[in-house]
Amino acid sequence: MEYTAPSGQDSRTIVVIGSSTGGPRTLEIVFAQFPLVDAAIIIVQHMPHYINSAFCRHLTDISCMEARIGEDGESIEHGTIYVAPGDVHLKLLANRTIRLFDDEKVQSVRPSIDVAMTSLERNGNDRFVGVVLSGMGSDGADGIRHIKELGGVTLAQTLRTCAIHAMPRAAFETGRVDRMLPPEGIRERIIQIAGIL
Amino acid sequence: MAEVPCRRIMVVDDDVFILEVMEELLRPEGIEVVAAVSGDACIAALEKGFRGFILMDIMMPKKDGWETIEEMIDRDLMEGNVVAMLTARDVPDRELEQMKEHVIDYITKPFEADEIVAIVKGYLEYLA
Repeated sequence: MEYTAPSGQDSRTIVVIGSSTGGPRTLEIVFAQFPLVDAAIIIVQHMPHYINSAFCRHLTDISCMEARIGEDGESIEHGTIYVAPGDVHLKLLANRTIRLFDDEKVQSVRPSIDVAMTSLERNGNDRFVGVVLSGMGSDGADGIRHIKELGGVTLAQTLRTCAIHAMPRAAFETGRVDRMLPPEGIRERIIQIAGIL
Repeated sequence: MAEVPCRRIMVVDDDVFILEVMEELLRPEGIEVVAAVSGDACIAALEKGFRGFILMDIMMPKKDGWETIEEMIDRDLMEGNVVAMLTARDVPDRELEQMKEHVIDYITKPFEADEIVAIVKGYLEYLA
């Protein structure tokens, strides 16, 4: 499906990228020289909490977007990458405000991709993109199903380009993935949907 | 919080050939390789203060890669390290399901020289 530009000034385009083992290699390709786009990008990467800051700094260095660790109560803005901090779940309240929760792990992980994606809700002209990258398990599959139900665009990494293809395979098996794409294709599709600022 | 050095990695593998190859590939890139021939050698290096990027072979005698990580967690030696597993298997081990918050990557052997150098340099950026 093709999106039309959001009509309301207050609408948001929210891209949630879920990534686990092997995902940083993909993110490196997706965000190298990535332009400033008209969307808020949320990255849920399973990783040790003590590399959150360096991970953000690196994404900022290689792209034209500012990447920072999402903080509780922070309003999301277009042109920014928000990285889910380690050891807490990240949800969006009314698609606008980051909330962090110290709840139980979901599928043995915290932050959970599913928790972040399923927190999105139908709200005015808000637009959604869900992306599942390399990783073990099935985190992200429920989230993809949810984003599709909201009318969003859903993408997953092609299995042959993954270090571990279980997560994108599980997402694909929901029958709700619009396209399986290599990292370069995911990058281009996000830019195409969001538009450059 | 442990301080993370940025241009040093530990390679844990019982195959001395792999250790030598990694050193030959990474030293010209200005990356120091700490070689550990077993899980116990890895634990000993961590107890001496190593913190950084660790390439961990899974299949090793006595203590495999997963058991080594479990011991790192039990002994509070995980903080400050980022671990990628080295494996000859196509299918990922079930243990990864429980370890995915600790294991950032899963690299299948044999690997291309350029590929492994790029991967290591990429993760060192995350630790810089």
